[in-house]
Amino acid sequence: MSLIRTVGLTKRYGSVTALEGLTLDVQPGVTGLVGANGAGKSTLLKILLGLLPTTEGSASVLGLDVATDGPAVRERVGYMPEHDCLPPDVSATEFVVHMARMSGLPTTAARERAADTLRHVGLYEERYRPMGGYSTGMRQRVKLAQALVHDPALVLLDEPTNGLDPAGREDMLELIRRVGGEFGISVIVTSHLLGELERVCESIVVIDGGRLLRHSTTASATGATAVVTVEVNGDPGPLVRRLHTAGAGVRSAGNVLEIDVVDETVYDLVRDAVAELDLGLVRLERQRHRLTEMFTDGDRRSGGAHV
Amino acid sequence: MSAVEIDQVSRWFGNVVAVNDITMRLDAGVTGLLGPNGAGKSTLIHLMAGFLAPSAGTVTLDGEPVYRDPEIYRRVGLVPEREEMYDAVNGWSFVLANARLHKLRDPESAARRAIATVEMADSQHRDIRGYSKGMKQRIKMATAIVHDPAVLLLDEPFNGMDPRQRLHLMELLDRLGAEGRTIVFSSHILEEVEQIAGRIEVMVAGRHAASGDFREIRRLMTQRPHQYTIQSSDDRALASALIAQPSVSGVELTSGTDGSIVAVQATDFAAFVHALPRVAAREGIRLLEVRPADESLESVFAYLVAR
Amino acid sequence: MSEHAVPDRGAPARAGAIHDIGYRHYDGPRHGARYIQRSLFVETLRGTYGLGRSARSKVMPFLLLGLMVLPAVVMGIITSYVGLTAVPVRYTDYVMLVQLVVTIFVGSQSPAVMSRDLRFRVASLYFCRPLSRRQYVQAKLAGMTVALFILMGLPVTLLFCSALLAELPLDEQVPDYLRAMAGVAIHAVVLAAVGLLVAALTPRRGLGVAAVVAVLLVLSGMELTVRGLASAFGNDTFLGYTGLISPYTLVDGVVTGALGADSSGGQAPPGALGTVLFTLVTVVLLAACYSALVARYRKALG
Repeated sequence: MSLIRTVGLTKRYGSVTALEGLTLDVQPGVTGLVGANGAGKSTLLKILLGLLPTTEGSASVLGLDVATDGPAVRERVGYMPEHDCLPPDVSATEFVVHMARMSGLPTTAARERAADTLRHVGLYEERYRPMGGYSTGMRQRVKLAQALVHDPALVLLDEPTNGLDPAGREDMLELIRRVGGEFGISVIVTSHLLGELERVCESIVVIDGGRLLRHSTTASATGATAVVTVEVNGDPGPLVRRLHTAGAGVRSAGNVLEIDVVDETVYDLVRDAVAELDLGLVRLERQRHRLTEMFTDGDRRSGGAHV
Repeated sequence: MSAVEIDQVSRWFGNVVAVNDITMRLDAGVTGLLGPNGAGKSTLIHLMAGFLAPSAGTVTLDGEPVYRDPEIYRRVGLVPEREEMYDAVNGWSFVLANARLHKLRDPESAARRAIATVEMADSQHRDIRGYSKGMKQRIKMATAIVHDPAVLLLDEPFNGMDPRQRLHLMELLDRLGAEGRTIVFSSHILEEVEQIAGRIEVMVAGRHAASGDFREIRRLMTQRPHQYTIQSSDDRALASALIAQPSVSGVELTSGTDGSIVAVQATDFAAFVHALPRVAAREGIRLLEVRPADESLESVFAYLVAR
Repeated sequence: MSEHAVPDRGAPARAGAIHDIGYRHYDGPRHGARYIQRSLFVETLRGTYGLGRSARSKVMPFLLLGLMVLPAVVMGIITSYVGLTAVPVRYTDYVMLVQLVVTIFVGSQSPAVMSRDLRFRVASLYFCRPLSRRQYVQAKLAGMTVALFILMGLPVTLLFCSALLAELPLDEQVPDYLRAMAGVAIHAVVLAAVGLLVAALTPRRGLGVAAVVAVLLVLSGMELTVRGLASAFGNDTFLGYTGLISPYTLVDGVVTGALGADSSGGQAPPGALGTVLFTLVTVVLLAACYSALVARYRKALG
């Protein structure tokens, strides 16, 4: 069953078109959502939560029509907003228990699940202190906890790594992997950082100017190219000449060589050449496509339309 | 070409020492200022811009102290992190006002150029109130470059920008740096810093932890063995051959995202990279991938912060 | 003789175990919006008296409750002791008498009920759940209404009890008491609606309390002034309608006109037309406040 299905989804606010003819079929798993700022992304999230009517088209989440079954959708979906949303004078425990009850859980279950969920997101003694004193990392964890406490089938995470330093970002990405993998909950993550989406998501949806630009699996978008990067410790000059002579296509880019991979024998060629020339082999890596290519290519084609 | 010199600078706010005895020199090119949340990066940037006085030490631009010197403001542009702006004016007026405040000879064309550089020409006549986060960032950029400063200081400039805007900003900073300007920007997104910053300055809890090219910094961390991951045609044979090498302190047979790998810990980087292709050639093992696992800025940063 | 079992040396040692404390799915009951609304209502009600919140937040409401109750207790004692033939203050007059205390309560508690969710943007977390905006507003309104009902109803009831204890004639006391309680109910819902709306419109810290108190005081003050002027000019008809200005006198007008109490403010609403008008204005005011509150939360998500 599809996780999310939209057909010709369109939303206009007067003269501004936030979404145009969006047709998507998202499968369960961890999916990344990238797009132009502002209108498109938050509008889409609101529509999927059944909080905003569409101008045209339809959407269904977990098999439920968002137009008619909004409350049922919201029962089964968790949402982690991008903005700050935690009252400062309440502790994490109190807050998450309250939110669990606001999702319909009976009091005992709410308490138990709140305690468990806070442990899963990595909040220990801190959870009894008022949230006003929390760091950004802790706040993001509480926001995630309230989205998970009622055991949703799907969570929508809106820029979960916003404001986190590199260590915090790593932790959050790891948590997201666990949610999708170990916890078995489907995830939609929005982010501006293609690098992190590559690491965490199984598939990517790119929306640009309200329209679907691309929807593919991360694997297919980051497949290996036919070029291998080689970096050596020492002067690469002789190596370049040696490879040329052997008939391999080589380009040098500063310290780094790019070699065409016609078949796997080129690896042995490089290895032997490096060894014979008394160089050190620092790196031998097949280049992969990056998600950013979508934007640089698209840019050249469309002339770079911005919001 | 202008150089910002920070000489034994400290800045405290009551008992909180935000910047603790820092000495650094920033000149032409792009420098990334990194550190965990609360490390003092924003404070340092504001000290460099002349908006804060150092509690100890001196901050100079080409020899002259920067604090409250209006002449300095002509040569320095600052893009602060805070979002608050004058909502009720439009982008054009805002940039123009800044141009006038700088007493430029031709404020209109300077403003037009600045707005064109940040690609906000289409939205310049809309009120700032209606701008998305990324658009506000770009207008802030425009005001910071309208007077063509020699030094540009940016505090988390990529915040809120979508992938395309980020690419454009990176290209812009790269270009400005290549023109000989001194560009300093703080960011948590290490993969982007890696791409455009020639050097990095790392701050941890107000102290200056490291500076320079991050690869060089990694080589300086001699206590930490280098981590390598290798994919080959015969992992076990390679592992046993490598462990015989004096430069190798550990091997592990494990699996990565693409299959089985050999994870190597090398205490002597140069000796290891030299030995690897030789060992593989001698044993007849094909090397399919050789990758330094902890040479990325992410790893270097993690090590620096954990000290 | 020990009850402990002696371990059998020949048997294997008790096996160790590692329990799975990984993520558990939830298969238990999930109640619908009605339950959620009721939960929110109860929490709101408790919150107005500081229950379930910090110790400091209990001070003001209980102090005010005390101030509300104190005159009634005193009067009750006097009635019994001195042997009065009627309670010193009519039941229907009591609220008007202590309206300042009620105003302060509405002012201090409305922001706690309404503004915090807006100021800290918690509202979006409510609306991504099965609860709708309407149900949220209804629960909050109900909580505040019941809180005010208790605040105003308790002293009136105590007064009534003391009348019973003093063995004053029931057929005089009961109808008036019932009218007063109906009045308390209407006062409660009107003040809750006005107070919560003003609080929702002024989410900034500290502003809410001042705004609510100011609105209620200003309206009361205006009503007094206009009434004074109308009385000075000797316009009796107009005098009957001045009550429309302030919520307290508005509700008092409804109680007087519709339920046949004696007016607390001076003039009753003139005739049937007056009563209808007062009642209509009350209903419209409630509907307007409710709609405005629901509309206020429209932008809450994102």
